[in-house]
Amino acid sequence: MKTRIHRRTLLKGLLGGAAISIALPPLEAFINANGTAYAGGGTSFPKRFGVFFWGNGVLPARWDPTAEGADYALTPQLMPLAALKSDLTVISGTRVLTTNSSPHLSGPAGLFTGDALRGGTVTRPSIDQVIAQELGGETRFRSLEIGVQRSNESYSFAGPNQVNPPETSPRALFNRLFGEGFRMPGEMTVADPRVGLRRSVLDAVGGQATDLRNRLGAADRVRLEQHLEGVRGLERQIARLEENPPNLAACRRPEMPAEEFPDVDGRRPMSAISRAMSDLMAMALACDQTRVFFNMYSQSVNNTLFPGAPAGHHQLTHDEPGEQPMVDAIVRLIMGDLAYFLTALRNVQEGDGNLLQHSIVLATTDCSYGKSHSIDDYPVLLAGTGGGSIATGRHIAARGENSSKVMLSVLRAMGVRAPEFGVGAGRTTDGLAALAP
Amino acid sequence: MHATSKLRWSPALAALLAVACSDPAPPTVTPDAGVTPPPATVTFNAPAPVLRRLTQAQYVHAVHDLLGEDLLVSRPMEPDVPLNGSISVGAASTSLSPRGVEQYEALAYDLAEQLLRNDARRARVLTCTPTATVDATCAESFVRATGRRLWRRPLTAAETAALVTLAGNAATTLNDFHRGLEFALSAMLQSPHFLFRTELAEPAVGAEPARFSLYSLAGRLAFFLWNSPPDDALLAAAEDGSLGTDDGLRAQVARMSASPRLARGLRAFVTEWLGLQRLDAVSKDPMVFTSFSSDVPAAAREETLSLAEHLALSRDVDFREFVTTRETFVNRRLASIYNVRAPSELRPDGFGLVTLPETSPRRGLLGHVSILALAAHPTSTSPTLRGKFIREALLCNEIPMPPVSVNTALPEPSPSLRTMRERLQRHQADPTCNSCHALLDPIGLALEHFNGIGTWRPNDQGAPIDASGSLDRVTYRDALGLSQAIHDAPAFPRCITTRLYRFAYGRHEGDGEEAEIGRLSQDFAYGGYRLRRLMSSIATSAAFRRADGGTP
Repeated sequence: MKTRIHRRTLLKGLLGGAAISIALPPLEAFINANGTAYAGGGTSFPKRFGVFFWGNGVLPARWDPTAEGADYALTPQLMPLAALKSDLTVISGTRVLTTNSSPHLSGPAGLFTGDALRGGTVTRPSIDQVIAQELGGETRFRSLEIGVQRSNESYSFAGPNQVNPPETSPRALFNRLFGEGFRMPGEMTVADPRVGLRRSVLDAVGGQATDLRNRLGAADRVRLEQHLEGVRGLERQIARLEENPPNLAACRRPEMPAEEFPDVDGRRPMSAISRAMSDLMAMALACDQTRVFFNMYSQSVNNTLFPGAPAGHHQLTHDEPGEQPMVDAIVRLIMGDLAYFLTALRNVQEGDGNLLQHSIVLATTDCSYGKSHSIDDYPVLLAGTGGGSIATGRHIAARGENSSKVMLSVLRAMGVRAPEFGVGAGRTTDGLAALAP
Repeated sequence: MHATSKLRWSPALAALLAVACSDPAPPTVTPDAGVTPPPATVTFNAPAPVLRRLTQAQYVHAVHDLLGEDLLVSRPMEPDVPLNGSISVGAASTSLSPRGVEQYEALAYDLAEQLLRNDARRARVLTCTPTATVDATCAESFVRATGRRLWRRPLTAAETAALVTLAGNAATTLNDFHRGLEFALSAMLQSPHFLFRTELAEPAVGAEPARFSLYSLAGRLAFFLWNSPPDDALLAAAEDGSLGTDDGLRAQVARMSASPRLARGLRAFVTEWLGLQRLDAVSKDPMVFTSFSSDVPAAAREETLSLAEHLALSRDVDFREFVTTRETFVNRRLASIYNVRAPSELRPDGFGLVTLPETSPRRGLLGHVSILALAAHPTSTSPTLRGKFIREALLCNEIPMPPVSVNTALPEPSPSLRTMRERLQRHQADPTCNSCHALLDPIGLALEHFNGIGTWRPNDQGAPIDASGSLDRVTYRDALGLSQAIHDAPAFPRCITTRLYRFAYGRHEGDGEEAEIGRLSQDFAYGGYRLRRLMSSIATSAAFRRADGGTP
């Protein structure tokens, strides 16, 4: 990844101002001889991290496996993930120990940040953004936030009140990722003078912000800094236009998805959109456009009408009597969409392995039992090993353990040198031992 | 994670609330005779001013007012983030996401091209003719004039010079003076000075409280009253200092109140007060509600906003009529849902004023599709959500979060439990539920004659509907009675004042600010509950000019 060749100087000025793509001869020997790393730098395949989040919990009696270890039987709600069992770690029994004051919101806040909600928002960045600090600097996008349900809410937080809203249109995501500004490996864009001018504009914008900063209070400075972080990210993106694109064998420009996914019977076609998003995200990672993502399938308390459901999802979790067969069917539908997503990652070959193996995908929800908003026995799935950094193919019954231990293990597996995770009741200095490879 | 109450659940708190709600303090003023005029000022310590991000609507208004109505703002931009239900409070707490920065960059270039590559449009903002590819004098006149409008204050010499240099470099590279200006304009549009409203205090003089700089005050006034940036006349009043005098301020506020742009401010306020932005995402099962086509939510929002504008601005009457009036606005779609004849005179957007018949069971806001559909489920009504709306939006009661780890299941409809009222008995019988649901369900049940999208129905599951109840000891028989009880409740105009205050200030009131809200509320009553007047009262108040917290 460190072997970018700055060829813009060679081509600069050859062809006026227009952006013209020239296919250069494919670079030979992407991979080293034993197929585990890039040639040249000797570094291994990049690690990727992402969250797959859905709202309204599970039915714990139909979710939690019984037997521990590798030989556990998949439960009804996990059955859609059967083909991925060897790539999956099911962690049952952990508890979010921070205060459960806000149904549906305290769970994700406690899990992803290790702290309770304060003043209606988180106190610190969510785990994806902590990892993006470590992994995001290399890539065109520091992190990508996507979603399926149409929503501006997310649990990807850069800090208090600083949400990263999800992109929920496959076409818009395609345009952002693979439209103008994307180049295939081996493809070179001739230097466009406008590119340099855009950078100088952003320089000027950054300078204006610096002037302003000295006149602001502490909280506003943080907010301005957030804006500047975005400006610097954009500068980085533009800088990538002037460099060789990442040199990855599996990268290709995906098919452009449909512009609209019309409602079917008044219902958003969640699965169709999720699958289109999955294909795009798999290629975004394969092309090393980002290494961190947050995929918000549906938000907390969402009242999505799923196909055939007689009421919205959230309403059903509370009002459906008995064993809640309709809620069960919805959770299984969502797990089917998760399975598609994970399979799309697994289908990307990287050396001897695949993209899923080089990733850790944390799949979770906003509470355990939707009906009661419990955050004990939190449903947590990890897919992939982060390049062999955690164990997989097992059910870990971690009864009563602090959920922050899982987060700390994941952080460390991603290469973040974190001495601890969480504060107060959520704090831990130890990972979950059973996750060690 | 945003639209959450800041209250933590506790039974003690619920008990307190229940007492507070069922035993309201006696009104200090009455709408009729003998209303005391409010004091001119009250003393309190306001928190420091904060940066506020332009909302989507403010961005669009700024482009149209400052660069031209004919520019299309057609690209996505950072979504507004309501915090505790308020877009203005959210705008004062959030920043831009990296995607938002990208979106504003793309928009900036798009707008710069639309404006500067068209001769007629360019002539609006560029009054000189360049003498060469790089003409610093001509570029500077553009940067000064356009920058002053976009940044809502004069640019410093250094800021001007940096932008002129940028334009010159771009002009040289692209060999085109006007293309060079596109980059300077784009920089101004991407700047935090444009995308954020910076409000700065003047140093305090002697014992006087710190005040906002006059340019900052101009911005505060314009975004509050117009939801738009200051126009040239307002900036001129800041520049010549007249805005700093009581007379000058009153003159500007009077001028702004007479402008059609006041409707923008009013609409932005009503949208966030009632949460009407949520209509964008409302979802109804078309198998259950066959008349709920995809154009209904936007039409429903327009009805509510049009009625607010009609009462507050066109007629300028007692705004409490918002919940009791027989007047409303419909297009053909809403007319069919309401079962009234569409008006013969329609506005260009297809809406017209109708007066519902005397016998209509529908009057005022609580008969609107917007509220009835929002405070409901995709396939059914929700007396709980409707009660919550009335408590929180109309009476400003704070309802705690439901407790965690309780069984929330409702019994299914059955021969013995047919209506929603019967099924909801569980909420009233269970003491865990009762402490809050006693505040919510009974008043929500008054609206059970309106189904999940607001269509009138005589029965629920074939059983007659009992819509009677009481609001804080005032009994009623049906939705009309409930609306009248809200109209008469002192908490209602006080709540409107509180919500307008939050909209104007971009924050939830702190302890000391209750006194100012009380003063404004008294003024609202004294003036016959006219919302236009209340907006002016806030805009001309001493408190609105003060910047106690100052800036370091």
